[in-house]
Amino acid sequence: MQNLLEVKNLKKYFPVKSGFLRRVRHHLKAVDGVSFVIQKAKTLGLVGESGCGKTSLGRTILRLMEATAGEILFEGINIVHLSRKHMNKKRRDMQIIFQDPYGSLNPRMTICEIIREPLDTHNIGSKEEKSKRILDLLDVVHLRRNVLNRYPHEFSGGQRQRIGIARALALHPKFIVADEPVSALDVSVQSQVLNLISELQKKFGISFLFISHDLAVVQHISHDVAVMYLGKIVEKTSTENLYKNPKHPYTQSLLLAIPVADPKQKPQRIILEGDAPSSWAPPPGCPFHPRCPEAKEICREVIPELKNVGTAENEHWVSCHLY
Amino acid sequence: MNEVIQNSTNKQTHTYGESLWSKALRKLRKDTIGIVAFFVVLIYLGIAVGVCLGFFGSSWDRFVTDGYSGMSRQHIFGTNLNGQDIFERALYGTKTAFQIGFIVAIVATFLGGILGAVAGFFSGKIPDVLITWFYGVIDSIPFYLFVAALAVALADNPYAMHIAMISTFWTSTCRIIRGEVIKIKHLEYIEAARAIGVSYTKIIFKHIIPNTIHILLVQSTILFVTAIKSEVILSFLNLGVKEGVSWGLMLAEAAQEVPAGNFNNFIAASGFMLILVLAFNTFSDALQDALDPKKVS
Amino acid sequence: MNNQKLLEVQDLVIEFTTDKGKVRAVDGISFSLNNSETLGIVGESGCGKTVTALSLLKLIPSPPGKIIQGHILYQGKDIVSKSESAMRHFRGKEISMIFQEPMTSLNPVFTIGNQMIDVIRQHTHASKKEAKERAIKMLERIRIPNPERRIDEYPHQMSGGMRQRIMIAMALSCNPKILVADEPTTALDVTVQAQVMAQISELQKKFNTAVILVTHDLGVIAETCTNVLVMYCGKIVERADVSTLFESPRHPYTRGLLTSIPRIREKKLEKLPTIEGTVPDLLHLPVGCRYADRCERVRDHCRLEEPPLEKKDDKTEVACFYPY
Repeated sequence: MQNLLEVKNLKKYFPVKSGFLRRVRHHLKAVDGVSFVIQKAKTLGLVGESGCGKTSLGRTILRLMEATAGEILFEGINIVHLSRKHMNKKRRDMQIIFQDPYGSLNPRMTICEIIREPLDTHNIGSKEEKSKRILDLLDVVHLRRNVLNRYPHEFSGGQRQRIGIARALALHPKFIVADEPVSALDVSVQSQVLNLISELQKKFGISFLFISHDLAVVQHISHDVAVMYLGKIVEKTSTENLYKNPKHPYTQSLLLAIPVADPKQKPQRIILEGDAPSSWAPPPGCPFHPRCPEAKEICREVIPELKNVGTAENEHWVSCHLY
Repeated sequence: MNEVIQNSTNKQTHTYGESLWSKALRKLRKDTIGIVAFFVVLIYLGIAVGVCLGFFGSSWDRFVTDGYSGMSRQHIFGTNLNGQDIFERALYGTKTAFQIGFIVAIVATFLGGILGAVAGFFSGKIPDVLITWFYGVIDSIPFYLFVAALAVALADNPYAMHIAMISTFWTSTCRIIRGEVIKIKHLEYIEAARAIGVSYTKIIFKHIIPNTIHILLVQSTILFVTAIKSEVILSFLNLGVKEGVSWGLMLAEAAQEVPAGNFNNFIAASGFMLILVLAFNTFSDALQDALDPKKVS
Repeated sequence: MNNQKLLEVQDLVIEFTTDKGKVRAVDGISFSLNNSETLGIVGESGCGKTVTALSLLKLIPSPPGKIIQGHILYQGKDIVSKSESAMRHFRGKEISMIFQEPMTSLNPVFTIGNQMIDVIRQHTHASKKEAKERAIKMLERIRIPNPERRIDEYPHQMSGGMRQRIMIAMALSCNPKILVADEPTTALDVTVQAQVMAQISELQKKFNTAVILVTHDLGVIAETCTNVLVMYCGKIVERADVSTLFESPRHPYTRGLLTSIPRIREKKLEKLPTIEGTVPDLLHLPVGCRYADRCERVRDHCRLEEPPLEKKDDKTEVACFYPY
C-alpha cells in the first residue's frame, strides 16, 4: 500500500482580534494537531458536528486556507510551503467537491463553461480534445449530453452536484476532498450521489477525504473513519471497527443519537447534555469531558493522548482516559 | 395523450439554456409599468439624439419675439423674458440633461465598481483601507460646498460640474459593490475556481464582476437621475451649465418671470424634468426587480 | 366533542403564481388530527409538506401563494375564511408553529426574555411581571441553566440547540392545542437533535398538545409519530399508522424512500439502493400518476389516470393502482 496523502500535526488557528486597536487577543484553534494518512484509491471518512473544524481541515489540506503549522505530504512532497506557481500545478491532482450545490456553480456561466474552466486554466488539449473531454465527463457523472448550454439554475440539487463532480474530475485528480457532498440533497438523491462517488473511486482509483456530519453516510463510502471533536481527532480506525466497536464515549453517543427508521426499535440513547463547546474557549483537559457521561477527575485536567488500543495490523486509535 | 406529452416537452425545450439575463428580460417584459416608463425614457433619448443631430432645438438661442409672449401656434410654450422659444429651449435642455446624466453615470459607476471590487476582494488589507478612507473623506464634505469650491478652483472649465459630481457620486456605488464582493468571494464557486488554480485577475473579472453587473446597472440608472436633478439645482444656483441651455437655467430665468405672473418657462422646464425623472425611477425599480438574482432563481 | 376531530383538512388546494405559470404546491389533500396525536408529514423538498404546515396557520406568503379550494376546520370552524386580525389571536394560542432555522426565527435585536414576554402578553392578560415569571419558569422547565440570568441574553449569545428549545418553549407558552413543527431538527447536530426531539415529546405529554411534525427524516418520524402521511408532488400518496408504514409500506415511493435512506448497516453494501430519476417539475407534471417515471411497478394504466387515495385495508390508504 502506498500513502498518497500524509498529514502530520496540522494546525489551523484563526486570530481573534478585539478591542480598540484590533490586537490579536487569542486564537481560535479550528484544527489543532491533526495527523492521518490516506492511501491510494481509499477513502477516509471524517465525521464531526458543526464547528468541530472538519471543513477548515479540508480547506487547509488543499491550501485554500494557509496552515498555521504542520506538514501536508502529497506523494511525499510537503506542499505547505510551495509557491503559488508550484501549488497551482499540484492543484491538478487535488480537487474538491462542495456541500452547497447552489453556491458552488457560478450562476452566470453555462455548464460547458464551468466544466471547461479547469481545462482552460491548465491548458489541457486542443479545442476538439477539450470538447470531447467535456462530453466524456458528462457521461461519467451520468448527465445527458444536451445540458451543455444550460445554466446552473435550471437543474435540481442532485444534478448540480453531478456538475460539480464533473468539474472536479476534469483534471484527472488523484485526490478529492468531498465536503459534505450529500447533506444538502434529498434522501432519495443522496444514495445516487454516494453510489456515483464509489463508482468513480473504483473506475479512476481516486482517494477521497469524505467530510460529513452523518455517520450513516460515512459508513457506506469509507475505508477508514476519523471522528473529530473541537479541532482534534478523538477516534480513528477502520470503518468496520468503528461501527462494531466504537471506543470513545463521543463516538458512541453520536452513533446512538441517529434516529432509527424502525418504530419497533425504541431508542436506547444517552442524550448528551448541552451543546459542543466552541473552539473559542475549549475546556481544560479532555475537550469532551463537560458532556461525557463517564468523565473522571483526570479528564478535567489532562488532555488525553491519541493512542493505539488495537493491534499493529488492525489499528484503533482513540484519545480517552478510559483506555 | 401523446399530444400532451409533446406539448410539455416542447415547453421544456423552450426554457432550456436560459441565462439569468434572458430570464430577467422575460420578467421585465411582463412589467407593464416598467415598459411604459422605458418607452418614455426612449422618447426623451430620441429628443436628445435629435438635438445632437440638429433635427430640432437648434434655434434655442434665437430671439424670435420681443420679450415675453404667451402660447401660440408658432411657439407652443410661448417665449421667455428675452423672447426665446421656450419649447425649443426645453428640447435642448433634454440633450444637456442626457449628456450630463450619461457622462456622470458611466464614469462614476465604472470608478465605483472597480474601486469597490478591489476593496472588497482585498478586504481588510491595505488597498481596502485606502479606498474606504478615501470615500469616507469625500463623503464628509457637503456636496454643494464641494461643487462651489471646485467651480472656483476650475475657474471657467465647462466640466467643473461633471467633475464635482463624478468625484462624489462614485462613493455610494463603491460601498455597495465592496459589500457585495465581500459576500461573493466567500461563495463556493470562488473557492472552486481557486481550487482549480485560476488566477486572481481571472477570478475578479470572470467570476466576481459579472455577478455584480446587475447592481452596477441599477446603480447607474440611479446615478443618472441624481445627476440630472443635481444639474438643475446647480444651474439654478449658477454653478452648473456654462454653455447652451438646461432646465436648471430655464428655472433660473423663471425665477424672474414668475413674480410677473409668467409661468410658462417654469412649467415647461419642471414638467420635462419631472416626467423624465419619474419615468427613469420607475424603470430603475422595474430593472431592479427583474435583475434581483434572488427573485430570478 | 368526542367525535369531533381537533383539526380536519378537506380537499385543500394551494396554488402559487410563478413567472412561468401557476403551480399547485398542494393539490387536493385531506387529513385529520385527533387530540394529543403526533402526525408526521414526510416527503422530499418541493413535495408541499412545508406549504401544508404553513397553511394551517394561514402563513402562506400571498401573493404568490393562495388557497384556492378546500377547508381547514379547527374544532369544526373553518380557518380559511378567517381574517388576518382574527388569525393573529389564533396563532400561538390555538395552533403554534416552530421553524427549521432557529437562527432567523428569533429577532436578534431583542433579548429572548423580551420576546417570550411579548408572546405571553399577546394572548393572556398577564402583567409584565407575571409574564416574566412565566417565561423564567418555562426556561427552567426546558432545563436551561441560570434562567434568571439567561432571560436577559440576546439570541446570538445562545447555541443553535438552545435557540430551538427556546422557540419550542415560546410556541408552547400559551398552551396551544396543536404544535406544528417544520423540520425542527434539520439545522441541528445529531446529538442536539436528540435533545430537541426529547423536549418536544416531554412537553407534548405535559400539555396534552397534538403535534404535526413535518420532516424529510424517516428516522425522526419512526421515533416520535403515531400516524404518518407521505407526500409526493403535492399529493398524499400513503397514509398509515407508524408501525404499519414502516413494517409494510404499500406505495412504491414509500418503499423506495425507506430503502434508500443511508443508514448504519451490519455489513457494507456494494451499492446503495436508490430511487432513480428526479422529482418532476411541478410546472410540467405527467398526466397519470406523478411517480410513474420513477416507479418500478409502473404499467400503462398508471400513465393515463391518476390513482386516488383509497383504503386498501383497515390500516392503510394508498394512492396507487398496483401497491405492494
